[in-house]
Parts: sequence; structure tokens; C-alpha cells
Amino acid sequence: MIKINSVTKNFKSGIKKSLIKAVNELSFNIHKNKTLGIIGPNGAGKTSLLKMILGFIKPDKGFIEINEKSPMDYKSRGKTGYLPENPYYYDNLTLNELFLFSFQITKTNKYDFKKRADYLLKKTGLLSVRKAKLSSYSKGMLQKAGICLALINNPDLIIFDEPTSGLDPIARKILSDIILDLKNKNKTIIICSHILNDIEKLCDQIIIMADGKIKAKYLKKDLVKNKTDLEQVFIETVM
Amino acid sequence: MRVKQIKAIALLTFKQALGGKAVYGIILGAFFCSAITIGLAGFFMHDIDKVAIDFTLSFISFCSLILLFFVGANLILNDINKKTIYFILSKPFSRQEYIIGKLAGLIFFCTTGIIIFSIAGFITIIIIKYMYSAYFKDFIWSLFFTAIYAHILMVALLNSIILFFSTITFNSFLILISSITTYIVGQTIEEIYFYIKNQTSIIPLSYFVENTINAMYYIAPNLALFDLKTNAAHCIPISKTYILSITFYAVTYIILITTASCIIFSKRDLP
Repeated sequence: MIKINSVTKNFKSGIKKSLIKAVNELSFNIHKNKTLGIIGPNGAGKTSLLKMILGFIKPDKGFIEINEKSPMDYKSRGKTGYLPENPYYYDNLTLNELFLFSFQITKTNKYDFKKRADYLLKKTGLLSVRKAKLSSYSKGMLQKAGICLALINNPDLIIFDEPTSGLDPIARKILSDIILDLKNKNKTIIICSHILNDIEKLCDQIIIMADGKIKAKYLKKDLVKNKTDLEQVFIETVM
Repeated sequence: MRVKQIKAIALLTFKQALGGKAVYGIILGAFFCSAITIGLAGFFMHDIDKVAIDFTLSFISFCSLILLFFVGANLILNDINKKTIYFILSKPFSRQEYIIGKLAGLIFFCTTGIIIFSIAGFITIIIIKYMYSAYFKDFIWSLFFTAIYAHILMVALLNSIILFFSTITFNSFLILISSITTYIVGQTIEEIYFYIKNQTSIIPLSYFVENTINAMYYIAPNLALFDLKTNAAHCIPISKTYILSITFYAVTYIILITTASCIIFSKRDLP
């Protein structure tokens, strides 16, 4: 379980170093085996929150716990997969070499690892380009490579930051299928996205963030029951 | 800290560095310098051996420093600017393992570069020795290789300094300027220190200036210790104690500065 307790994060900006509150006294829990969708306008604090969960930045106030461990503790990321907003990997390396890097730190045996790599490559359609340098990849292909690398170690917690940005409709469908597959395997998933359709389709819980705060929380089943349109709810909440 | 994790990052850093196109340019440049040394050696009437060895060791030093400052210095910064660091740190790596792995990869990369330059240098000396064998009667190969070993130690130390600056600032220009300044200070601080110490009886220094020089002398790395080109060129023997001392000095300095880098980096927010 991920516990987020009164978390605040400020950033200094500009010459005058004026303070920007990215996340403001945020508290909520993410339960195991659930899919949480975080939506919000630009600058709502979504990415800052994800970065704090991953231990890339530290909260100024409050704390985050992942299975009772601090995100700064590497053990909290033992079974974590992360797909950044604009995945960028070493240009001069191949996907195979990055798989090898992931294999070096895993406890999985070589056979199982290769099997998983092949499964992900087939699923994303990157099998034929696994030995090509990443510099030759298009944006969509890099996004797919990012999905493979996020999932290669069979993580229990997967964090997607704008996973469908830059993807064509077919690739979006493939990614949706992958996420649904992960859901069926009872993985804990966090998705940040601007594409409300994806969130509505994939998530059990939805949080609407604005100005670093939670403006509203919904359960998907309630939205379905009340036949509520997420886009309408989102606009009403944020405006 | 886990060796497996550090090894994985070191290998990734090495592969990342090898992919830079600048590397091939620098290696070609080294072989070009080597060819020039062969051509120039004949212009010196008496000290062909000394000139050839000095030139060869100088080009090894020059090329490896270019490799270090312009390729090595950007490796960590590229990780941060292009956000590839997220790929690594979203996996179970501690920040300390990341820093030590990067340092190990950088040292491995620079040492490989120096070995390649040294092979070119070795071939250069063999050719010149064959052309002007009469001038190479006193030449000792072990001194030549000891000078290269000392240079490897110095580059490793500079690697740790570059890494230290990379944890303080994420600005490539500042990292480059700070690292080059440290190199220049490190090469000259001993001479300046003793010169000023001798002059204080004639020109009294202010309390501030004297203490700043004293502090710099003890804080800045004394890189002049690793410059054994003169010994190799003039066949001046180097004692084993001296080699052990500079090894100990470099290792201690690297450990101290890497510890500081780990502490700073573990407290920093990633951009």
C-alpha cells in the first residue's frame, strides 16, 4: 500500500525565486491491486507527486510510504516499473542492451527473463528492432520501448505518466490492452493522463487534482452507476 | 552498497561513453599526434630520445584530458538533462550506487582511452627508436610505463572531481570550468605555495591571502605529483615508495571526494 500523508512540495522559480506550491498538504492512500487514475490541468502537481512516490524528489513537508518504506530507500522500488512522460534512453544503445542492464539487477533466471522480454517485444511490435539503436526509433517506438523497460522486471507497482502521449490509435489500443492485462494480474497501477477516456476505461479510482490539491475523488463504479460523464465532472471541478 | 548494481551502472556508463562520436575523433587525433611526433623527432639534433618521450607522453596526457573533460564530464549531465536518470533510479538502485557506478564506468572508460593512446605512443617510440637507435641507449621502458600509470591515477582522481561538481550543479558550463580550474590549480598549487612561502619575508602577505593559499594547498589535489614525464624522458629513477605514496594519495582523495558526492547527491532533488 502507498500512504501519502500531508505531503507538500514547493519549487522556487525565476530570478526572484518566488515560491510555487506544486503539491499542497496532499493525503490519500493507494491500495494494493487497484488502478488509480490521476487527472488534472497542467501544473496541477501530478508529475511532482509521481516523482515523490518514486523518490526522485523529497517532500518539503509530510511523508510517503510504500509498503512501510520511504521512497528514498531503494528497497521501495524493488518491484516498481515507471514509464516517464517523454521516455528517453541512451541513443547509442539498443533495446537488447537495456534489457541486459535490467537483467543484471534482477533475480530472475535467464530463461524466464528472455521469455518475458520476447513476450513484451511481441506485444509492442518491437521484436524486429530490438537490435537497432534507439536513435533510430520514432517517438511512438520510444514510448513502446519505455513500456517494455518498465514492465521487464515483472513489477507489482507500475506508474505511468502520460502513457498514451505521442501514440497512434493502434499503439494506444495495444497499451490499453497491456494495462488491462496488468489489472487482471492484480497489479497496483497509477496512471497520470490528460486523456480522460483512457482513465475512465482503465481505472478503478479517479482523483482530480488542481493547484496541488485533491479537488475530487471518484470510484469508477459510482461514475458508471450514476451515468456521470468524467469530462463534465472534470471541467466542473477544475473551473 | 551492492557490487552487482554498481557493476551494472558502470557497464552502462562505459557503453554510453563509447557511443559518443567525439571518442573516435579523439582517438584519430591521438594517432595523428603520434605520426607528427615521428616526423618532428628528426629535427632535434641531440636529444631525440628525450624529445620523443616527452612529446609522446604529452600527447597521451593531452588526448586523455580532452576525453575526460569533453566526453566524461557530459555523461552524468546527459543523464540528468535527458532524464535517462529516471530510467535507472526508478529501478532498485540507491543514489550512492548510482554515483559509485558512474565513477567506476568513467574511470574504466578513461583508462581504456589512455591504454589506446599508450599503444599509439608505444608504437611511436618503437619506430623512433628503430630510426635513431644510437640516441636511445639510456632509455628505460619501465619509466615510460610508470609515467603512464601515474597519469591514469591522476585522471581517475579528476574523474571523481568532475563527478563531485556534477552533484553540486547541473550546469555543463560550470562543471567544465570548475573541473578545468581544479586541474590548473592542482598542477600549479605546489609551485605557487612554495614560491609565496619564500617571498613572505620580502613582501608580507595579508592574513586572508596567506590563509587562502594555505587552505588551497591542502584542499586542492596536488596533481603535479602525478607528472612523471620528466623522469621518463631524462631517465631519472622513481622509487617504489613514491609510486605507492601517490597511489595511496589518489585512492584516499577519490574515496573522500566520492563520499562527499554521495552525500550531496542523496540530498538533491532531481530536476
